[in-house]
Amino acid sequence: MTSDNRSGPYLEVQNLVKWFGDDRAVDGISFGIPKGAFLTLLGPSGCGKTTTLMSIAGLHSIDSGRIRVGDVVYTSPKEGIFLPPEKRDIGMVFQSYAIWPHMTVTQNVAYPLEIRKLAQSEIDDRVADVLALVGLTDMADKLATQLSGGQQQRTALARAIVANPLLLLFDEPLSNLDLKLREQMRVELKRIQNEVGITSIYVTHDQAEALVMSDEIIVMSKGQIEQRGGPHDIYSRPINEYVSNFIGVANLLRGRVVEVTEPGRGIVEITDHGKHIRIPCRLGPGIAEGQAAVLSVRPENVHAERENSSDSDLEGEVLQAIFLGSYVDCRVRWGDFEWKVIAHPRMGLKQGEKVFLRLDTEHTLAVQP
Amino acid sequence: MTTETLPRTVERSLWANRLRALLTQENIITIVISVIVGAAVILPLVTLFISSFKVLDPLGWDTTWGFGNYVTLVTDRVIPKAFLNTLIISSGTTVLATTLGVSLAWINARTNCPGRDYLEPYNLIPFFLSPFVGAIAWHNLGEPQTGLLNGWARDLFGIEGYILNVDNIWGVIWVTGIFFAPLVYLFVVGSLRRMDPSLEDSARTTGAGLVRTTMTVTLPLVMPSILSGAIIVFVTSAGEFGVPFKLSAPYGWETLTTQIFSKAVGDDANHFLGATMAMSLGIITVFLIWIQQRYIAPRSFTTVTGKGFRPNVLDLGRWRWLALGYNLSFIFVAVVLPIACLIIVSLHPVWTGSIIPEVMTLNNYVKTLFFWRPESIQTATNGIINSLILAFGGASIAMVMALVVSYMIHRTKGFGSRLLDFLSVVPIGFPGIVLAMGVLVTYIQTPIYATLWILMLGYITRFFPYGQRNIASIMLAISEELDQSSRMAGASWFTTMRRITIPLLKPGIFAGWILLFIIFLRELSISIILFSTGTETLSVGVYYLSNFENEPLTAALSMAQTVLLLIAIYAFRRIAGREALTA
Repeated sequence: MTSDNRSGPYLEVQNLVKWFGDDRAVDGISFGIPKGAFLTLLGPSGCGKTTTLMSIAGLHSIDSGRIRVGDVVYTSPKEGIFLPPEKRDIGMVFQSYAIWPHMTVTQNVAYPLEIRKLAQSEIDDRVADVLALVGLTDMADKLATQLSGGQQQRTALARAIVANPLLLLFDEPLSNLDLKLREQMRVELKRIQNEVGITSIYVTHDQAEALVMSDEIIVMSKGQIEQRGGPHDIYSRPINEYVSNFIGVANLLRGRVVEVTEPGRGIVEITDHGKHIRIPCRLGPGIAEGQAAVLSVRPENVHAERENSSDSDLEGEVLQAIFLGSYVDCRVRWGDFEWKVIAHPRMGLKQGEKVFLRLDTEHTLAVQP
Repeated sequence: MTTETLPRTVERSLWANRLRALLTQENIITIVISVIVGAAVILPLVTLFISSFKVLDPLGWDTTWGFGNYVTLVTDRVIPKAFLNTLIISSGTTVLATTLGVSLAWINARTNCPGRDYLEPYNLIPFFLSPFVGAIAWHNLGEPQTGLLNGWARDLFGIEGYILNVDNIWGVIWVTGIFFAPLVYLFVVGSLRRMDPSLEDSARTTGAGLVRTTMTVTLPLVMPSILSGAIIVFVTSAGEFGVPFKLSAPYGWETLTTQIFSKAVGDDANHFLGATMAMSLGIITVFLIWIQQRYIAPRSFTTVTGKGFRPNVLDLGRWRWLALGYNLSFIFVAVVLPIACLIIVSLHPVWTGSIIPEVMTLNNYVKTLFFWRPESIQTATNGIINSLILAFGGASIAMVMALVVSYMIHRTKGFGSRLLDFLSVVPIGFPGIVLAMGVLVTYIQTPIYATLWILMLGYITRFFPYGQRNIASIMLAISEELDQSSRMAGASWFTTMRRITIPLLKPGIFAGWILLFIIFLRELSISIILFSTGTETLSVGVYYLSNFENEPLTAALSMAQTVLLLIAIYAFRRIAGREALTA
């Protein structure tokens, strides 16, 4: 058993099932991550990501499945095992920060060490180190109620990592911060996690957060895993319509694969939108000839041109061109479909102009509906 | 191969594991507390129900099973009248208390009545004092021969006979009405204060006048709170024992509670008939409370947002002095006049209806308070000591229970939490005297009968929900993640309670403790059923003096109780503030 675990992933979740009443919140998901990795569970609210996290934390029981970290089985209803949360040696950062208002920053951060009955001198040293790491040395004696949102966030992080736990769990920790602070904290969180090297699971519904911070992302929906992969993979090779829609922005057109030209490449025929057109593309996994597919093209891979240099059949009219500084966000009407296109400001596209759209074949992807 | 033995070892460890997973601190505590609360609440009610079918034979030797007691309820010479009197008193009290409570709440929350911020605490004082003592005071004010007001009327205006007689059903309505008005006040003032003023403003902008806005917007929004308050007053006055016992029962107007009392301890004691009457009263009150909790209370939150609005204030112009006069009159008749009367009466060796400064003495206080003096009256001095023990001990035990029960209700999910939630609402539906009958018939043959423990059991069972509510309101306001993050930091359930949960709940725990302390210090209707020689309480002492001694001695002990209560009220207000009351 033991040697088996050592060779496998550090954290392993197997066939996790959790019911809430008649609702199957988590529907038999499995995943594992290596030691030191940063994994993000990404999905809309109600997709089961927080339930998964709470199951790992032990803040509620599970109906079936098995959760293990290293050699320790946290939960396994079949074996009758349920380790209470305090025995799991996990650090957790909550959505509300959960900084205890009747204690100072130092008292908050020292708490896990006091529970572990460390010598006072060691507690002092480690608290000082951790506060320095999160940049709160000056705030050590402040009460939680005197802190700003970002400072509470840092205190929560310091408290979660101070005892050097086996795992670090984040439950949408940045969702209560304003945009500017959120962007700053993303980078900061990632830096600190890198520095301490604790295996981390991060739950968020914010795809930008997931892309910036994670080594790996699991996209969830309705209690199941849709896709798992690195940020770049997930973004550029979404497995289906759901993932490509959820991560970033995409033009999604329903069609049918009419021809496979070579392994992984083919032609999709689009007949909706009052148009009939064949578009060469890459084929995602599980896409074969004759199958229904969804064509997914990111706006930055659609090029609007005044001259039809590539014999494009995609001729449309600019509906809207919004200048956003470094780029122009365009909507181009083609039949009854609206293309989202990113154009260069120098083109000076105007509303009502006729343009030809050229798709970057390398980044035009046929995925499962 | 060891295939034959392997499954057995796996199975054993499986069950061992399951057992270990179940035996957590919080599970053990939940089970223990659930069993205690369940036994405390359910046992007396079930025994009461069963007892109501035990019919005592005419000689009082033996019992048979049957519906005889229920037949007696209808055929008896007195009981049907007692039902009717209870109905009249409760209805009258509800009308009076609601009228007073709503008008005072409106004046305080929504008008520019001068000094309204200073008036509020005094408007609430009657809520904390003993209505029984109020009845004693009003008896001394409005008795035809010896009433102080009647005496003044004769001396000052030369009136023959009397101008006021409170020794009847109307006197009961008058005293309970003014004492329960603060209950309605508390229900209504909160929703008047927290109502979004833009709801009224938008009605005004559509062209509706002040009266129309009040009738079509304000009143309907506050109506659920008014109804809640009215139902609570109806139920509380139906269960009120002291006031009808003092003012109406001796003069021929028995009520259900005074009848239950005489069946429990009187010469014609018949516990089973008493249990039957208690059962019928309990069914009515539980039904009304169920309606209030199920249909009316939830609606009062849908219209009133929790945000801190500054409510619209109506400029009354010159009428504001009238409003002030009205409010001061209430405080005068509800607080000042009764207390002044008690003080005056308590200073006389004998009360004849007129003040005689030459004979004034503090002797009555010596007799009722100084338990070490030979002339002291044991029943009275016992009462103070016993009540203080019960109030300190009972409030402390009840708050521990309330803390764990609130935690289980609001921090755990599943069957146990819903069961406890139910169990902590049930006692609110039963008047003290009804629950006390249940406790009496349950424990009369056990060693705890005739000890302070049976009183404490009755007190805690009936009133721990009030403490629980004080804690729950704070618990709902603080995030569950504060507890969870302590568990994640490695602290056990106990350590989390001790270091995180309890410190955060401290204000609610203190407020609840003092509230229960006050309630226990003045408790009468449970004590009167469950006391025995040596375990008299303060209110029982007052009852004893009123029944077997004279009015001045009664007034002296009443004053002692009132002073203790006023000190506790002051402490409550200092610690809990106004929010804890109106929340």
